[in-house]
Amino acid sequence: MSDYAADDAVPEVDESRRKFLIAATAGTGAVGAVLTAVPFVASWNPSESARAAGLPTEVDLSRMEPGQMTTHFWRKKQIYVVRRTPEMLASLNSHDDKLKDPKSDESNQPAYAKNETRAIRPEILVLIGTCTHLGCLPKTRFTPGDAAVMANWPGGFFCPCHGSKFDLAGRVFEGSPASLNLAVPPYAFEGDNRLIVGVDVAPEKGAA
Amino acid sequence: MPTKFASVATAFALVLGAGAVFANEGGHAGWQREADNEVANLPSLQRGARNFLAYCSGCHSLRFMRYSRLAQDLKIPDDQRDKYLVRPGDKFTDYIRSSMPAKDANEWFGRAPPDLSLVARSRGADWLFNFLTTFYADPTSRQTGVNNLTLPGTAMPHVLASVQGVPNAVWRNVETAGPEGKPMTTREFEKFEPGVTGSLSPEQYDEFVRDTVNFLQYVGDPTQLEREGLGIWVVLFLLVFTGIAYLLKKEYWKDVR
Amino acid sequence: MSAVIEGKSGFRSWLNKRLPVDQFMADQLTGYYAPKNFNVWYFFGSLALLVFVMQIVTGIFVTMHFKPGETTAWDSVQVMVREVPYMWLIQPMHAIGASFFFVVVYLHMARAMMYGSYKAPRELLWVIGMLIYLALMAEAFMGYVLPFGNMSYWGAQVIINLFGTIPGIGEALTEWIRGDYGIGDATLNRFFSLHVIALPFIIALLVLLHLVALRQVGSNNPDGIEIKEKLGADGKPLDGIPFHPYYTLKDIVGVGLFLTLFAIVVFFVPTFGGLFMEAPNFEPANPVSTPEHIAPVWYFTPYYAILRAVPDQRTGALLMAISVLAFVFLPWLDRAKNKSIRYRGLASKLLLGVFFITFVVLMWLGLKPAEGTYVLLARIFTALYFLFFILLPFVSRADGNGPVPERVTYHAH
Repeated sequence: MSDYAADDAVPEVDESRRKFLIAATAGTGAVGAVLTAVPFVASWNPSESARAAGLPTEVDLSRMEPGQMTTHFWRKKQIYVVRRTPEMLASLNSHDDKLKDPKSDESNQPAYAKNETRAIRPEILVLIGTCTHLGCLPKTRFTPGDAAVMANWPGGFFCPCHGSKFDLAGRVFEGSPASLNLAVPPYAFEGDNRLIVGVDVAPEKGAA
Repeated sequence: MPTKFASVATAFALVLGAGAVFANEGGHAGWQREADNEVANLPSLQRGARNFLAYCSGCHSLRFMRYSRLAQDLKIPDDQRDKYLVRPGDKFTDYIRSSMPAKDANEWFGRAPPDLSLVARSRGADWLFNFLTTFYADPTSRQTGVNNLTLPGTAMPHVLASVQGVPNAVWRNVETAGPEGKPMTTREFEKFEPGVTGSLSPEQYDEFVRDTVNFLQYVGDPTQLEREGLGIWVVLFLLVFTGIAYLLKKEYWKDVR
Repeated sequence: MSAVIEGKSGFRSWLNKRLPVDQFMADQLTGYYAPKNFNVWYFFGSLALLVFVMQIVTGIFVTMHFKPGETTAWDSVQVMVREVPYMWLIQPMHAIGASFFFVVVYLHMARAMMYGSYKAPRELLWVIGMLIYLALMAEAFMGYVLPFGNMSYWGAQVIINLFGTIPGIGEALTEWIRGDYGIGDATLNRFFSLHVIALPFIIALLVLLHLVALRQVGSNNPDGIEIKEKLGADGKPLDGIPFHPYYTLKDIVGVGLFLTLFAIVVFFVPTFGGLFMEAPNFEPANPVSTPEHIAPVWYFTPYYAILRAVPDQRTGALLMAISVLAFVFLPWLDRAKNKSIRYRGLASKLLLGVFFITFVVLMWLGLKPAEGTYVLLARIFTALYFLFFILLPFVSRADGNGPVPERVTYHAH
């Protein structure tokens, strides 16, 4: 026997005390390990630079022609802004039965965009230009009757990656791999000709 | 065992003390003073921020400090931030830039006024305090009309002259041993005398500079208070953990004879 | 072998049929007998491993935000510590951890010198350790250049120019190291790659070899006697105890104390008076403005003092190289029969004691400007430094052969 269990009187090994101390050490150590992990995990959150870059984007509407779309960036996402014509708006009523989510119940949009035109002011459509299937950039197919897209095509968006189709309010058609309508970001109008993407209420004048 | 605790404590003390011995000991000329600032003093930091943005940021940028961060740390409300801090034309999340184009600065001063984000860490608060309080009138300085005891020959004008005024320096002649042991006379600084007065008394000006240096020390290391606050908990936790681990070790080492 | 695995739960038995986990634990931990008389000097090996792991983990996270490149490096460090959550803690941990690594390593080497842990059959263990030390010095040097502060730049300038003193190839060599006519983008980017990938891999491999070599010959101990020479009836050393649980538990206490000290420094005195984070490095690299006193970080300064002590640049560089490499030859310079300083005479104790003091004094001198009395002191202590290696063969042979105890000296604790 190795000398460490000696020849002179061996005190009884207090197993319960050992178990308790092992548990105490292991427990404290585990708590310490988790607490140590916190700063490392937290360091992956967006930095202040990212948040500063993610500030709301301003869009100037004054030069937009009816039927025109402009693209912008907000929080690293493409934003589509469309000045819809009355014909475009009219086309929205005729095909609810062909849409997966005609009332936008499942899709993502702020409360003020959960309506027939999916917009605050019907003539201005604001969408996040990311296909809700796997994230490609949908292309514009505004011309109605374009048979290459679909029979009785009312006009809208077509995603080249896997063929998802959306109408002029960004609502997804049956037969598309995507299941949700194109998302609407938070936005607000400032006066007649300015739009701010990224806030629900336009900030007061004077503040940044 | 008491001796074991004593040895551990001694070891800690030795390591921390060795650092103190090895670390830079500054030489102090008679006129040099200590900044004596307290980064935990929030009103002082707020005054310092105001001072900096009013007098310094025309030439000196703080290119790693955002207005938003500054306002958040110094608990300045958004409207006051936008009204008093943010330079017109800048966004509140922008970094604090100076108004001076570097090319012009090089022409006018010989070098661009340096960014001051880290000056408190590279030079130290005491140096900054002395720099800002040792300007004096110097007729031989054709560019600026002033000189500085801490940084002789500085190209920086006495920007705070309206606040401090411009003191005069009193010199005295001392005999020293020159080359080859021959006695020679050199000029040594004796004291300052009031010259042109400014809007603040000397004590008020010291406070003004102290606040500004305090602010710069915060800018150099914005998280120091958070760091020290967290540190107490971390050290306490580690001491508790070590204590428990020690009891566990002792228990098992009873086996060893 | 199956006795170890049988009767275990399903998963464990499944695992052990595929990976010798239990066998490994039995061989390396509960079955590895280490001398029972380890004292405080024996903590530093496991602490070195801890610091290595800490540097890798903090380093991984720092690398996520660091942008190597002449114009981006400095800014990326400042932006990361001010704007990325908790990087104000993680980046300094990495910088300060480097200094702690050397504190631990120097104490670890001191232990080996006190107890003769480099003597047969542990010469290779010592040599591998020296290779780790050299790799670590390269790793630390390159890491210090990365933030591209003013001291990063000028420190790199001085150290790379040392290679220029090598006759014949010197000039070409420095240009090859830099990848350019001066220190800039090329140098920074290659140092980044070496610091982040190449050297950590090499160090990890060397550490593994170091541990395998240790396992092969077994640990030395403060009395310097081989415990394997006295086996009990069960074939285990009489003076040995299983590494697990005794030294695993004892090392945990060491880790706790070490982390407490580390936390005190990181949270309350991170610059440590300018020793761990030097003031001139809070300014970006400026090729037209040299800091007042160029000095390497404290862990290189003993050798720096030796370099400066010699008035001739080439000889100084050569002596500096020899001063580092001299350690490698200790197993063969030391001619004593007895390993431990405990069983050597007064002369050996004085010689070693003076060496340790000399090392620390040279470290202090290296931080001072090379002026006035410091110059004379540096020369005296450089002479003392080399005198240690020169006298060691004679002194050790003379008074290292007395009687040693049969069994280790152990006091219950």
